[in-house]
Amino acid sequence: MKNKIILVLVAVLIVLGGYIALRMYNKPHVNVAESDPDLVLLSQTLLEDFESDEISANTKYLEQIIQVTGKIQKLGTANGNGTITLNNGDSMGSIICHLSGTENKKMVSLREGQEIMVKGICTGYLMDVILINCVLVN
Amino acid sequence: MKTLTLTLFMALFIGLAHGQEKYITKQGNISFYSHSPVEDIEAENNQVLSIVDTSDGEIAVSLLIQSFIFEKSLMQEHFNENYMESHKYPKAIFRGKILELGDLTENDKTATIQGELTIRGISKPIETTANIKKMDDSIVLTGSFLVEVKDYKIKIPSIVANNIAKTIKVSFELIHQPYN
Repeated sequence: MKNKIILVLVAVLIVLGGYIALRMYNKPHVNVAESDPDLVLLSQTLLEDFESDEISANTKYLEQIIQVTGKIQKLGTANGNGTITLNNGDSMGSIICHLSGTENKKMVSLREGQEIMVKGICTGYLMDVILINCVLVN
Repeated sequence: MKTLTLTLFMALFIGLAHGQEKYITKQGNISFYSHSPVEDIEAENNQVLSIVDTSDGEIAVSLLIQSFIFEKSLMQEHFNENYMESHKYPKAIFRGKILELGDLTENDKTATIQGELTIRGISKPIETTANIKKMDDSIVLTGSFLVEVKDYKIKIPSIVANNIAKTIKVSFELIHQPYN
């Protein structure tokens, strides 16, 4: 009798463990739209931080969900998804926001020169600061 | 001395005048593929920066490690935190030369590319072939090459050693526009 109970317990544990492992393995990607931003700032500040000291900017911004406000310099597409280039000043670099697929239909309402708020994950700085999985705020 | 200065200025000026021979993309595509008996792993990066100078065939490509998107977020996490240490080494860079570029047409032609690939701060010489063509105004470069995981001292724990290939196939598609 006792053995049977132990056996059942072990079986339950194995199933539960397997379930948890599977859940972890299939953990979904971060949902930017439903997450609060880690940092909120102006596109110009973000750009200047990377231009002046890339290493410390990396520590501060990499992998973070960042909400930036900035002026649209250029609208485009890359691999089927919309891209928004933000640049307020005359600086060489800019912030390039790669939109999530769900945001594409909102692109038609945007105009160059317009001020907008975008939320996305910062992956670093090449010639420009890159934000991916971006969603429009408001 | 004066002649030297003048020559230098001339060289610089010619360099500037030939600026229209530079082509750029900020949204190139680079993906990699790892095949093992246990599983196939794929990741894609659509934010690759690449600059080609058609006057001498010089090419420079750089990308952000964290821009690689995996199907499973757990894999992406392990890739960044454990294997690539993308906080410490956020970029991968290739610098090289397209040999015997010649005249480009709308038809793909094969060209050899030689250069140096830097991943995790380690630089290794690399040589590969690529297809290159000129479509309308753009220079299109496509191809693939193999990277040995051990060349870049990427530590893979023995528990997942069978899940990850020793040799990774890297594919690229870079559509460069004229750089103004």
